[in-house]
Amino acid sequence: MSGMTDFANPAVYIVEGLLVFFILWKILSARRGRELFIRRIPGLSVLDEAVGRATEMGRPMVYAPGLSGLDIVGLQSMSIMSHIIRRAANYSTRVIVPLADPVLYTVAEEVARDAYTTEGVPEQFIPEDIRYLTNEQFAWASGVVGILHREKIATAFYFGAYAAEALILAENGQIAGAIQVAGTPSITQIPFFLAACDYTIIGDEYYAASAYLSREPTLLGSLVGQDYSKLLMVGLVLIGVLGVTLAAIEPHFPGLANINELFNKYFLQYFPGSA
Amino acid sequence: MGYLPDFPMALLPVSVHGKMLAVYIFGALMAGAAGLVALMAVPPRYRKIVVVGVTFFGGLYFSLEFLLPHQPVAHIPGSAGVARFANSLTRAKPNIADWAMVIASFTLLLGTFNLFAIHSRAVKKKTEGWYNSLAFFITFFLILIVGILKDSPVSKLGPGAAKGLQSVCTSLYGILFDGFVQNLDATMFSLIAFYIVSAAYRAFRVRSAEAGLMMGTAGIIMLGLVPVGAWLTNWLPSTGLLASLRLENITYWLLTWPNMAAQRAIEFGLAIGAVAMSLRIWLSLERGSFFDRQL
Repeated sequence: MSGMTDFANPAVYIVEGLLVFFILWKILSARRGRELFIRRIPGLSVLDEAVGRATEMGRPMVYAPGLSGLDIVGLQSMSIMSHIIRRAANYSTRVIVPLADPVLYTVAEEVARDAYTTEGVPEQFIPEDIRYLTNEQFAWASGVVGILHREKIATAFYFGAYAAEALILAENGQIAGAIQVAGTPSITQIPFFLAACDYTIIGDEYYAASAYLSREPTLLGSLVGQDYSKLLMVGLVLIGVLGVTLAAIEPHFPGLANINELFNKYFLQYFPGSA
Repeated sequence: MGYLPDFPMALLPVSVHGKMLAVYIFGALMAGAAGLVALMAVPPRYRKIVVVGVTFFGGLYFSLEFLLPHQPVAHIPGSAGVARFANSLTRAKPNIADWAMVIASFTLLLGTFNLFAIHSRAVKKKTEGWYNSLAFFITFFLILIVGILKDSPVSKLGPGAAKGLQSVCTSLYGILFDGFVQNLDATMFSLIAFYIVSAAYRAFRVRSAEAGLMMGTAGIIMLGLVPVGAWLTNWLPSTGLLASLRLENITYWLLTWPNMAAQRAIEFGLAIGAVAMSLRIWLSLERGSFFDRQL
């Protein structure tokens, strides 16, 4: 793919350095006790309501982490799962977790056990409810569909990495009459979840979930740091747009040639085909 | 070549054969067992320090490998002969990545145990649909045995019988894998076509201005991507200002500009979120679920 390298260039040092600085700075200020505000995210606010619905109906819930493995996406999914299981444990509602990755399965089992223990009801933990199905994409999807129908699921959560199976699950969840909440960093699947689920969290809201749900200062600080980082990226995009527009309208604008040379020297030469 | 001394590759050979392979496997198992025993022997309050240290140094290795200056090299072990850029740390990358694969193989065994526990209970208690669990056991062992036999030399049976058995197993494997697994996979995949229709029906019900806008845009794009769409606005000139109103050009514009802008905005957010989470995990700042529990 043009424009991608497997090593850092000076631009990466600067941008990555600033991102890390903003995130760590806000984490430290949050840890020092500074009050931080984060906006309401409907898809996450509704999680407790979704658990309540399953409790009222006396039916189990499904938490599907998709095809996630033990990576950033999978770990974030485990954080959200932990919150949901803890809420469910308060109401003695079953949560079935079908997994497609054996490594994540071992982590999920520990997280679930830990969540029940934290809530003081370790006896509610059923090891068979944390199920490794298969690592084959569509075999896993058919397994989850089977669970949705056989167990008469009241609430389904889809948080993790998803591919083509996203719509299969969400549509079957609809057929089963489940309330469905989804969140995925897989951009191509977001429209399917939006069309078929009751609530969908979009984009980086997925990574905001643990901070939003726990209100833990470190995580809140990190979230605010992310917002500062986004502002930085927006600023860089605006500078780029202005520069390119100016170069097209008035190529001999004073100083423009120097800026162009600077960009070429420290940035564009590392991206084949763009200089 | 590098800014750092070369990674001690003698400890991480690209490949070993014969007796040395057995020595390496035995050594790895012993080292793994010793590491596990040592970790269990560490008092609980210090275990976290060990985990934090391992996480930090693991992250540090990959960070430094990416951040330290690279130089062009002709060949890197494990990179299938592709010329790339590398530094002193790059050479060890495939071997270190292999460790993750080894750990994953152990967990696959745990996953299989989980499957056995769930399905054996279903068969034993004859719960609803228990025959599906029985089907799991039959297919599991069938494909396991056939898969092993089709590739292993069975010299005790004699060359003719061994060849015959392998031939039968290869055919059976073909039936099981290409005939069943692949086709069942394709069946599940093809169901998406039907689900897209039902999902689209719900999504395109015009209940608000936004839904109406989405419906209109979707209609234009669907028409613009099929020949009939181009035919509908064929009467417009193919050059000049009015050409922009041809359905295929509106479709191209919608996909390339507003749609791409929105996608890139989401991608930026996601990438920054991933950086923040990676940083928290690397520096052991992550909180919640299993991250701040007593080990």
